Amino acid sequence: MPETRRDEQKLWLILFQIKGVRSRLNFLAIQRWIFAALALLIGAVGLTFFAAATSGPLTFLAIAIFLMLVALLGVIRETIVVRATRITPARAAAIGDTRAQLKGRLTTVLALNATPRHSPLWAYLVEDTYGRREEFEPSRVAPRLLSRAFYPLLAAILLATLAVPAARFASAPRQRPARPGLNGPNQIIADIGNLDIRPADPALQPNAEIYADPATLKKLADKLAAAEKADRDRRPLSKLIDKARNFADAFQDKLNGLDPARPRPTQMRLTDRNPGPPSPPSDSDNSPNSGSTGNSGGSGLADNSHHGAPGSAPPGAAQNSPPPMTSLPPQQADELASKDSSPAPAPGSDQAPAAAQNQPKAGDPNAGGGSNHGSGSDPANLFGPASPLPLGSDSFKIAIEADPSDESTASGSPTYVPPRIRVPLNANQYPDQPLARAAVPAADQNIIKRVFQR
Amino acid sequence: MNEAQSTAVAELPTIADFARTFRRIQAEIHKVIIGHEQAVEELLSALFAGGHVLIEGVPGTGKTTLVKTLGLALNLSFNRIQFTVDLMPADITGTRVILSSSEGRREFSFQPGPIFCHILLGDEINRATPKTQSALLEAMAELQVTVSGTTYPLVPPYFVMATLNPIEMEGTYPLPEAQLDRFLFKVRLGYPGEAELVRIIGSTTGPDGAGVEPVFEPHEAALRIEALKRLVREVIVAPPIEQYAARMVRATQPANSRVLGDLHAPIVVDEVNRYVSFGASPRGALALILGAKVGALLDGRANIAYDDIDKVAAAALDHRIMLNYAAHTDNIDAAQIVQQVVKAVRVSRA
Repeated sequence: MPETRRDEQKLWLILFQIKGVRSRLNFLAIQRWIFAALALLIGAVGLTFFAAATSGPLTFLAIAIFLMLVALLGVIRETIVVRATRITPARAAAIGDTRAQLKGRLTTVLALNATPRHSPLWAYLVEDTYGRREEFEPSRVAPRLLSRAFYPLLAAILLATLAVPAARFASAPRQRPARPGLNGPNQIIADIGNLDIRPADPALQPNAEIYADPATLKKLADKLAAAEKADRDRRPLSKLIDKARNFADAFQDKLNGLDPARPRPTQMRLTDRNPGPPSPPSDSDNSPNSGSTGNSGGSGLADNSHHGAPGSAPPGAAQNSPPPMTSLPPQQADELASKDSSPAPAPGSDQAPAAAQNQPKAGDPNAGGGSNHGSGSDPANLFGPASPLPLGSDSFKIAIEADPSDESTASGSPTYVPPRIRVPLNANQYPDQPLARAAVPAADQNIIKRVFQR
Repeated sequence: MNEAQSTAVAELPTIADFARTFRRIQAEIHKVIIGHEQAVEELLSALFAGGHVLIEGVPGTGKTTLVKTLGLALNLSFNRIQFTVDLMPADITGTRVILSSSEGRREFSFQPGPIFCHILLGDEINRATPKTQSALLEAMAELQVTVSGTTYPLVPPYFVMATLNPIEMEGTYPLPEAQLDRFLFKVRLGYPGEAELVRIIGSTTGPDGAGVEPVFEPHEAALRIEALKRLVREVIVAPPIEQYAARMVRATQPANSRVLGDLHAPIVVDEVNRYVSFGASPRGALALILGAKVGALLDGRANIAYDDIDKVAAAALDHRIMLNYAAHTDNIDAAQIVQQVVKAVRVSRA
């Protein structure tokens, strides 16, 4: 009886060691899954950061989607592989046999352990296997404590660690303010003939101020009207692409650490080198081949330099324009021009920056004119503080979103800085000329509001 | 108590006894047979596994000498039948003849043929007609001979070794598949190498031949061999190993065979589908396991490993695979097919 008991103890120890081998191998398998999944995700995120800093919005969106898909499929594949290779006791015994050169001893002991009738050689098999127990200790069968998948994880972390600074480095020129040498930081002088105007996303906040004489502004209004008409003619696919571009742009800004809610306002002085009677919006302006639209990433205004200047839009790019913003109808622009009694400063003169500095900034509660000052018919935006400026000023400002970027094609040529312009009118508003606002008595506000609510 | 009954009560030897006895017999045989180590090991494996052996070799490679030496080493009764085209079944099994008794009465009496022995050598078995060849079937499979309605048991151990000459095909009768299947192993004897040839010349052209010492005493030989055979049967086989052997046999069967019950083969070997008419029978799986058991004991193990199966696969399956005409035209033999099968099945190990 004691002999039998000793045999049972030996058998138990053999089985216990097989369990130990199994636990160790399963632990390594779980490690592999975790490390591989993390490696895939970290690598994908690192590359996404890099793509956000170095690619355009649509390219970035495509790369980001591709990377996320690859990461997702990789994780799914790893899950399937790890599930398929999970270690059962029989498999642990087989692995122990192979690695410890036990020639099927463990497999046989495990498989026939529960068999009621044993061969006369069973005791010999148990004794023989027990005598080799040191050869199939878990630490010898699976000496690794860390899965090999840890190395891909390290590589992914390294890649991400390098990708983020590389992304910062690559995106530094984009985050830099407007080139000095124009009129100081964030001050741009642009010719209206070089402007390619496209409607911006109404949801975007204004971050640019435009200064120009009334005639130039009327031309600007014409261009706005043309852009609006072109936008109405666009296909749904183009609008979808624009939405995707806007989404990608916003996401890119987030990844690059830019705060889209608090953009640095860009002041742009608009000049007209070719003054003449403002032309009404024509079909030729709306034509995709007219070159009046560009590919400035969904921004409101984009410089479309003449004579093949850098940043000129390819034909047909107008169909990719974002949804319409607002533009001044020609008659309103004419009215604006006639009301403007003060002489406009010459384009590029020293008075322009001074005038710009006297203008209230966007978002200033005391600011006059513009759609965010109560103009329009939106009942929610009817009232505000009175405009401190007299009506008929020689200039007014509208808010645009402008983001300077270097898209020069020829070395040494001046950097093309496309302004991004948008007019923050909401859906209930319509283009209006800038009017000075007077204070409304509190007693009359409800009556006026009711009238506009009809 | 006859000899057969006495073996049933013999004490089971140990694994070490088995390996020691096996190696000793091997050494005695190699006193005479130079080289052919694998053939000798397969021959002894078949003996202890309880099977019979088909020895194929070109003339002059020592087929008959090998069998004779084995008989001497084992110290068992040994008979040799030279198969010829006019050999009749009764020449093998024996026949009833009329004899006069001491009282003067004449009665039929059975005169046993050369088949009644422990070790039988059927030399050039393919020279006899199929009818005569089939006279061996009952003896090989059931250890008994039936003559004129009377069954006569054979005394174990009973071991048939048949030789085949592969190059003299004229005037021969290929063995029927049923008889081929009854041989546990097919052992190939090739030409010896130069060094072996020099040793053969030296050992056989002198005045004295090598003296083979019997390993067993005459009275205990059969008893001990039967005990060793029982030990072989006791070797433990794990279910995954059995499955491996079955899968290997199944892999030798072509997918388009009309005799297959299960058309879904877990492992498909292209060469098998292209060149094989009929694969190995279930006896092939038994041969694999029994041969592997002997291999395990020789390695000091009480259990079979996958490698033991692989090691005997060629000897156990070679003669059970029937090749088609395409194989002959492409100069493919069964050994190559078995090699491909083993390679394909090896990846399916647990």
